[in-house]
Amino acid sequence: MKHTRWIGAVVSATLALATSTACSSSSGGGAGGKVHLTFWTHTHPPMIALNKALIKEYETKHPNVSIDYQQIPNTDFNTKMLASLSNGSGPDIINMDDVALRGDYIPKNLLAPLDYKAMGLSSQQAIEDKYIDGTLDGAEGPDGTLYGLPTEFNATAFAINTEQFRKAGLDPDQPPATWDDVAADGKKLVAAGQGGFNFLYLSAGQYTQQLQILLNETGGSIVDKAGTKATIDNAQGIAALSIWNKLINVDKVGNAHTASRDATAPFADFEAGKTAMTIMYPWGVGQIKQDNPAMYKNLKVVPLPQVDPANPSGRWYGYYEAVNKASKQQAEAWKFIQYSASQSQRWLTDVNFIQPLKGWAQSPAASSVPFLSVWEQAYSRGRFDEIGHHWNEVQDAVKTAIEDTVLNGKPVADSLKQAASTINEALPD
Amino acid sequence: MTSTTVRARRPRHTATTRHNWIGAAFAVPALALFGAFAIYPMARVFYISFFDYDLTSAPRFVGWHNYRYLFGSETFQASLTATAFYVVFTYAPAVVLALVLAAGLDTRLPGSGFIRLLYFAPVAMSWVAVSIIWRLILQPDGLLNAVFGTHVNWLTSDSSAKWALVVVSIWKETGLFVILFLAGLQRIPDELREAAALDGAGRVATFRYVILPLLRPVTAVVCVMAIIRGCQSFSAQVVLTGGSFNTEVINLYVYKTAFESARMGRASAVAVLLFFGLLMVTMLQLRLFRSRER
Repeated sequence: MKHTRWIGAVVSATLALATSTACSSSSGGGAGGKVHLTFWTHTHPPMIALNKALIKEYETKHPNVSIDYQQIPNTDFNTKMLASLSNGSGPDIINMDDVALRGDYIPKNLLAPLDYKAMGLSSQQAIEDKYIDGTLDGAEGPDGTLYGLPTEFNATAFAINTEQFRKAGLDPDQPPATWDDVAADGKKLVAAGQGGFNFLYLSAGQYTQQLQILLNETGGSIVDKAGTKATIDNAQGIAALSIWNKLINVDKVGNAHTASRDATAPFADFEAGKTAMTIMYPWGVGQIKQDNPAMYKNLKVVPLPQVDPANPSGRWYGYYEAVNKASKQQAEAWKFIQYSASQSQRWLTDVNFIQPLKGWAQSPAASSVPFLSVWEQAYSRGRFDEIGHHWNEVQDAVKTAIEDTVLNGKPVADSLKQAASTINEALPD
Repeated sequence: MTSTTVRARRPRHTATTRHNWIGAAFAVPALALFGAFAIYPMARVFYISFFDYDLTSAPRFVGWHNYRYLFGSETFQASLTATAFYVVFTYAPAVVLALVLAAGLDTRLPGSGFIRLLYFAPVAMSWVAVSIIWRLILQPDGLLNAVFGTHVNWLTSDSSAKWALVVVSIWKETGLFVILFLAGLQRIPDELREAAALDGAGRVATFRYVILPLLRPVTAVVCVMAIIRGCQSFSAQVVLTGGSFNTEVINLYVYKTAFESARMGRASAVAVLLFFGLLMVTMLQLRLFRSRER
């Protein structure tokens, strides 16, 4: 009987210990103790390579720190992250886009405020002073608290295939300046047997990003500034989707039905020569360079076509490294983020990721950034999207509206009216 | 005499009771696992359906709100319509086709076993693998359009995407029902067929008046399975269309609501409605088949 009690006690203690170990996302570490951090990002091969290199360097410099780095496919990232955060198994360090941060993670209180003391700084202002005004808004709460630092800050431009332009008798040094020019050049390219222009038909998020680009140019928005009411079906919204629809269904410069739908290779059609013009982001240049060096030689990045070139606009979006509020080692996590953010020159040279630090365009590494002047101009014209809660549902509604019109021929106004109804259903009850 | 009988029975009763208790004790681990991993999650879904729960905050009680919302939601109604379309146009033809094929394959000719295996092959494949293969076949420049000389945008238009899913699913699911019908056909004694032939019944009349009535229990099972499988469809829609073009079936709606929108309460309410809906349809079907038997 006595033995049985002892065995029972040992088993219980072992189970309790095992449970407590399994439930914590990473083991705690005191001064000089072992620190184990977990770090999740989406998949983007050039970024993954640099992250691995930075982790290796950081672990060498801090022998007590080990970092478990996981990459999750873009389409599953948000779902997996939310599920893991709900059961306490989420990573210490989160790499997340500004839409998810502002729409879900910050309002739901899932993130730890930026720990400037752990970074050896006197205040949050000391960090904000380093960045271009407004560029940290993507990770800022309504009260001005900062929850992340950008590793990837994107503006929007346009890309053309110079070889196809020449074959169609077009001058690559005279790229399209307006969407009407895209239509005109696209028709000539298609008539010459070259690729025309197409949008990307991938995830709901990418459909929404592209419509948002057009909305910024027409003066529209998906929801109002408060994020409580759909405005996508107003005149500016109709004008934005009409540009998309006209290019594909009237001018027929691209085929939405045959476009690649592989979200892991967004520029597959452009790289394969099926299109000669595409919307482009800084990270896309790096990806094309890695995936298809031959095509890269014919790549030229030019300013984004505008509805009104006299009043140009653009769109920003960024990925920020943030810390899980449930992490037991927030200070250590912020120290790694600080190290990663301090490598802005390598982010530029290795991955073409621009960190919006003041004076980045004049830094030594910036000279290695292809089409620097175009990107500089694009950054100066951009702004973040206006978003609301449950943005996933909003994005789904936008995707349906675009598909209804562009792929199924439904009138633009009817599609957007339906989208507005669905969005209003999704916005806060 | 009576007291002797009582005395004689008591030990047997005690032995039976002891056996029952031992039997029950052996069943406890299985019952505990069933309770923990089947009954509790189901009960939890019922419970959560009365809350607003986003996975990361504490659940907030909202009473019947989730159910009221669903009855007024156009998106939910669209997913019900998509599910009904998929179930009716996939499984009704699949069941009829399976019955015809099974009748044809109910033979002992050489090679018939291999042919049965071929019909069953799609059933053994995973839905994801099948969907990826069909996604290639259904591309605008894919095999299907090439063979028939058509230019149908199978997966990217409202008019054809739902039919593409029907075609794929009939191809995938028919084999399962063929096997079930074959098993039923092979249990019917040959004497009955011979008797019908002696009475002058042709093959069609024998099938209509002898075989089909005897297959009723199997048909009932097949019909119940067909509706349940149809309502549980998910993978094909995810891989082929992502739920676009009016193909967002109820399970995909639940997934998106729960894990993309993090509205666990609302998703649970859909799951509860689906549970009762399927229960009612299944009971109705079984009653229908039983009343015909009588």
